[in-house]
Amino acid sequence: MEKEIVLSVKNLNVKFKLRGRALHAIRDISLDVYKGESLAIVGESGSGKSVFTKAFMGLLDKNGYIESGEILYKGQNLAAFKTEREWQSIRGREIAMVLQDPMTSLNPLKTIGAQIGEAIQLHQGLKGKDLKAAVLEILRDVGITEPERRYKQYPHEFSGGMRQRVVIAIGIACRPRTLICDEPTTALDVTIQAQILELLKSLKKKYQLTTLYITHDLGVVANVADRIAVMYAGDIVEIGSCEEIFYDPRHPYTWALLSSLPQLGVKGEELYTIKGTPPNLFQTIKGDAYAPRNPRALKIDFVERPPYFEVSPTHRVRSWLMDSRAPKVDPPEHIKKLRSQGGIYR
Amino acid sequence: MIRYLAKRLARSVITLIIIISIVFLLLRLMPIEGYFQNYDKLTKGQIHTGIVNMGLDKPIPVQLKNFFIQLLHGNLGVSRIYRANVPITEILAGKVPISLTLGGISLILSLVLGIPLGTLMARFKGKFWDRFGTAFIVFIQAVPAAVYYLFIQVFGYEYLGFSMLFKKGDFTTWILPIISLALGNIAYYSMWLRRYMVDESNKDYVKLAVAKGVSSKDIMMKHVFRNAVVPMIQYLPSSFLNTVIGSIYVESLYSIPGMGGLLVDVVKRQDNTMVQAMVILFACVGILGLILGDILMTILDPRISFNKKGGAR
Repeated sequence: MEKEIVLSVKNLNVKFKLRGRALHAIRDISLDVYKGESLAIVGESGSGKSVFTKAFMGLLDKNGYIESGEILYKGQNLAAFKTEREWQSIRGREIAMVLQDPMTSLNPLKTIGAQIGEAIQLHQGLKGKDLKAAVLEILRDVGITEPERRYKQYPHEFSGGMRQRVVIAIGIACRPRTLICDEPTTALDVTIQAQILELLKSLKKKYQLTTLYITHDLGVVANVADRIAVMYAGDIVEIGSCEEIFYDPRHPYTWALLSSLPQLGVKGEELYTIKGTPPNLFQTIKGDAYAPRNPRALKIDFVERPPYFEVSPTHRVRSWLMDSRAPKVDPPEHIKKLRSQGGIYR
Repeated sequence: MIRYLAKRLARSVITLIIIISIVFLLLRLMPIEGYFQNYDKLTKGQIHTGIVNMGLDKPIPVQLKNFFIQLLHGNLGVSRIYRANVPITEILAGKVPISLTLGGISLILSLVLGIPLGTLMARFKGKFWDRFGTAFIVFIQAVPAAVYYLFIQVFGYEYLGFSMLFKKGDFTTWILPIISLALGNIAYYSMWLRRYMVDESNKDYVKLAVAKGVSSKDIMMKHVFRNAVVPMIQYLPSSFLNTVIGSIYVESLYSIPGMGGLLVDVVKRQDNTMVQAMVILFACVGILGLILGDILMTILDPRISFNKKGGAR
């Protein structure tokens, strides 16, 4: 089945200017996002997963800029957008975002109704009664009971989980095609996390959304994602379907990431950690960015950046281990165990 | 809300009663010269009859009681030295409106100019308006007020043809003092507004507003500004009421018959009843300013509740 591409990123490079030096945050990423899919971008803090998606909405911090590359969306190149007016045709209307911390992402002085209504008014031009009716409908959609009463309330009268529902309501209020969820459950407690993920899944179905999840929680990923992109040091090192990444990971970094799952730990033993620190992105990275931390690194890993190797039509890996000349390296025991256990689905 | 207000007012009245009692009692410790304009020339008999006439021979609790009764009738007593035997309310009635009008106009002017300046500075942080405003603020803060007050007076007189002295009926003579009074406040309001707005615009809700497609102008006006104003609004009633105290320097520079320096004056001349009346007046102003400030805050910020204790967050 041929899938329709909604968003196509080509050789994107994002840099940040910091005290006269340039930090290379996104290093030459190419990625296609298909219509209606749910793509999870995973990686540790500072891997650039958040910056990557912010670039789609022109939300980079002031010192950040797209150095080269294209972000193609509906025939337009978002990477070339300069003015606020251009971005406003995208923000909220086409691509919307759910931020991490619902406690701070709502304006404390405006009612919930006003904050959701602002987005609808902006993009659909509704006013007065129609506007209110639309807001109430969205409140119902995100599972807020007694919307009539809640409409007039302020954020401080809502609990964390409820606020995140409101933030999601704002996100879908303008009927975007794509919803970016930037760690949507990180700030919530575990019991609420599942509810929010369920909500996001049902909304995705109802509004036929394409969703991008940014997260470092592989549990969340297993729950919601069709495809997974693993990011390391500003690059996608491995991308594949959910099954491929969990059952047949090929990149040593993905192995390490999966090995760090507490579910795989043996009782009484220390949890697995990846030794070392991510590379300094102020410097030009030579070879494979993960090589210095990779116990199985090959000589060539320090010399030349690996290209993508195709494992299957949906599964690509940037690792020299996949080269036909490379010695055969087995994934660590943990990963095999994961395979036999049937993943982290419980 | 009404219950809270009633409670709050009752508490203020108690505070006021305590302040008045303390002031009254302290002033009773002052030498009795403070009740006579020409104490040195009077005989002992004359002084005695004077004291009896003023009721100062009675026991202190009785005097205090009489003073409160007098206050309840809206009578602050009679000046003894500053303007002998003129009711204090009459003296103040001539002075308070002048200081309050001048101060009020200058406060409005400083809000009208300071708020847009602060907003511009925050919106174009690091650009022209921010630098311009910063230079202005640093100038006003660093140069002693007396220097630019004098400069304004001389410049206005020499080049713009304004009068050097204040005349009540002639509004053109009001302009220079009002500008002088406003400059400091313009700097103050723009500085704090800029700071609060910059703080607010780094918050997450601003990021979400950008993400939902709100223009940066609307974000500043509809989201950031209101949040930034909340911490400032509390002091607004106090700043207005405090103009009652007047400005010693500006008022003497333009010979304005206002309240400026009146308290210092009557303290120096030991006019006991005047000191007492003015301290009471200023205490009222302070207390009222605080109450009004709190009310304004509650109106603007829904998180602050009158009823619950520590309810929000």
